[in-house]
Amino acid sequence: MYNIWWFFTSYLRSVLKWFLRRTTGLCELQRICYGEVSGAPRISAVEKSLNLSKSPQIKKLIAYLNDVSDNLRLKGSTEREILKGAVSTVLLVKRINPRIHFQFVKNFSKCVEQIWGYRQLLAEVESLRNIKFDSNNLEHEAKLLQLWEALMPSVELDNRISKQWQDIGFQGDDPKTDFRGMGLLGLENLLFFATEYRMPAQHVLSHSHHPVYGYCFAIVGINLTSMALHLLRSGDAKTYFYNTSKCLPSIRLFHQFYSYLFYEFDRYWLECKPVDIMQFSNIKLKFENNIRTSLMDTNAVFKINVSVDTV
Amino acid sequence: MMGLLSILRKLRQSPEKELRLLLLGLDNAGKTTILKIMASEDVTHVTPTAGFNIKSVVSDGFKLNVWDIGGQRKIRPYWKNYFENTDVLIYVVDSSDKKRLEETGIELFELLGDNKLEDVPLLVYANKQDLPSSLTSAEISEALGLHSIKDRVWQIQACTAINGEGIKEGMEWACKSIKKK
Repeated sequence: MYNIWWFFTSYLRSVLKWFLRRTTGLCELQRICYGEVSGAPRISAVEKSLNLSKSPQIKKLIAYLNDVSDNLRLKGSTEREILKGAVSTVLLVKRINPRIHFQFVKNFSKCVEQIWGYRQLLAEVESLRNIKFDSNNLEHEAKLLQLWEALMPSVELDNRISKQWQDIGFQGDDPKTDFRGMGLLGLENLLFFATEYRMPAQHVLSHSHHPVYGYCFAIVGINLTSMALHLLRSGDAKTYFYNTSKCLPSIRLFHQFYSYLFYEFDRYWLECKPVDIMQFSNIKLKFENNIRTSLMDTNAVFKINVSVDTV
Repeated sequence: MMGLLSILRKLRQSPEKELRLLLLGLDNAGKTTILKIMASEDVTHVTPTAGFNIKSVVSDGFKLNVWDIGGQRKIRPYWKNYFENTDVLIYVVDSSDKKRLEETGIELFELLGDNKLEDVPLLVYANKQDLPSSLTSAEISEALGLHSIKDRVWQIQACTAINGEGIKEGMEWACKSIKKK
């Protein structure tokens, strides 16, 4: 059944594309790049169109770009070369005159940068997650102490091994075992939120100390790293990245996405008025579904609104 | 058509008995990893448990509802809320964490003293056998004083949760101990 349905839709798609090409004089990619608003609506449409392409040259191009981004080679001057090559392949295959359609060249190139930049970002985030937190590594240790200083600027840590870690929501007296499968990514996420969004992070940390609705800041944070990674991997997060990123997406943008999730989760948690921390998995699941729903709207913009009760 | 038939067949074979398994132990003992192994899920992305996780697994004609409760000190007071109707208590020990061996023993015997867990079979997983600094299951058993337990059936099983070694053997014992009841 599915095969027949698939056959008809793909057949109909070809007929419709041929018809539109004849009447408008533009190929599908051009119609998208001129017709769709910039950001997620346009980039996602280009991505879909490229993935459905039957042209062997386009298929080869896609495989090449996948390989480049999986190996983190989409960078600096190489990136410009690669984008140029990708655009000229499409111009050639679709017989587009770049002098007339210079706007297409510009728009399409931006889309390619975002589509494969996202893929590259996923590879980068995964490699950071794969680095286990190692207390023999001075760099890792320095980052951990930085996290303390950023979150507790007025309190000195008595000792590297200390019950005080629980004040910022680690489980015991040594955070090293708490990063688990999220590795260095979990620590980098927390550190970014604590240093780049100082006020919002302080705000969230103070909520985590609430006598009734309190929770473990760092542990919840590490669980949110897992959620952010999950949304990135499933592709649900594309709306966020395609609408926020102006150039090649970097790891900073992932940290920003994480910070947004953390800030919003805290708000949602308090709204839910949970009786105790045992409600965490239920509330987390509901929160994740809400985020997924809002990411389905390709026009959505996500920002931390720090107008709240900071006074 | 085939899909529908196999669904119908599965429905007819639906397990007769639902069982409640409770996974407890200190933080970083490996409870969530064991839970994921039981459910045949990827274990490389585990995070510390805030609250609890639950999964249902069908095994040996039983539908096992496995409750994995966070092990950090702040959460331990909530453990007792999950005792009722437990069929098997699974206690997980990090065999390489010698510093907290005493702490984990105290927590275990406190559990065994609770009325709601009376007569409930006890399975102890001596986890992390892959680490060179780990104690063997016999040493763990000795250190915890498991031999003083006379009021229920119990078993200790060496395991390495991250690669699944020993988990199945433990579960087989758990299912057997229920059938005997």
